Amino acid sequence: MSMLNGFLVLTGFFIAGEALRVLLALPVSGGVIGMILLTLLLMLKGSISDSLAGSSQALISVLVLLIMPGVVGVFFVADEFAGQWLAIGAALAVGTLLSVLTTLWLMQRFSGPEGGGHE
Amino acid sequence: MSELSGRFQELLGLLSSSPALAIVLTLGAFFAGNRLFRLLKQPLWLPPILMSAMLVSGMIVILKIDYAEYREGSRWLSVLLGPATVALGVPLYQQMHHIRALWRPILFTLPVAATLAAVYAVVIAASLGASTEVLASLAPKSVTAPIAIGITEQLGGSVSLMMGGLLITGMLATLFVDFTARWLTITDPRILGFALGLNGHAIGTARAFEIGPTAGAFASLGMGLTGIFTAFILPLAFRLTSM
Repeated sequence: MSMLNGFLVLTGFFIAGEALRVLLALPVSGGVIGMILLTLLLMLKGSISDSLAGSSQALISVLVLLIMPGVVGVFFVADEFAGQWLAIGAALAVGTLLSVLTTLWLMQRFSGPEGGGHE
Repeated sequence: MSELSGRFQELLGLLSSSPALAIVLTLGAFFAGNRLFRLLKQPLWLPPILMSAMLVSGMIVILKIDYAEYREGSRWLSVLLGPATVALGVPLYQQMHHIRALWRPILFTLPVAATLAAVYAVVIAASLGASTEVLASLAPKSVTAPIAIGITEQLGGSVSLMMGGLLITGMLATLFVDFTARWLTITDPRILGFALGLNGHAIGTARAFEIGPTAGAFASLGMGLTGIFTAFILPLAFRLTSM
């Protein structure tokens, strides 16, 4: 029961996000808007109910299941993007290496001298 | 005999037009993938989702089900994707207090690094002649899947291609963070975790939790903030460049 309680809250925030997206013509999905609303509200409140924490945990643990149909499609689009696989591969490999380097370098640079040592 | 095979065809046709078969295939592969993952001692280069997805693909090829048909049958799963995206706000809230410890580097790094993660990929692919659809599918490659699906739909990319790119990015980011951190002699688990979450979304975050709880917390933070930031910036950037 308490799990469903949290699910009701999550779905409510999703619908609120969708409503804001349509009414304000935002180019962002309703899920993301709902996520921001929920985070802000929890920060204001400063605490979270067990049922909401529980059902979030449950939904996140089956995320893999929810995105699976999209992932399966990868094996069926080979023809669709024929001739572009070199560009795709290079963008993923070189792009990811560069963005990892950028992130680590920036984080280290702005951490300053006291950033490394203490925990 | 031929009568029986005719009935078998009829049964397959009936099943593949109802969501039940898609549900059984997806759930079955989900459990089998997780089990295989544990049997193989949790290899980081082979995430369970990849194994599950390969199992489903194999099954629908054997059963001669069209991918579009499977996609249609499994549509009910996508209904939960919205609330699941909202649920990501909970770990983000729980890790938010960590920002205080490292707010300066995070404030300066996040916008630049999250933007560049998309820009690097788009510029490289565009210079090698990729189509607009491919660029739109590659742009959200560092964003966690439920948010990235929304972004790709906004930009007009292919969700399937985006998912493939996302998986590869997650695995590569894990590899590159380990390798580059050693080269730059970075050992702070907070920095390693943040870089893993920012670049490698959920796969990077799983790796960060292996390093330790501190790295994991910062990875969750990096993943959540990158998702939100990118969800706003990419549709705006694509709208501006296509004008």
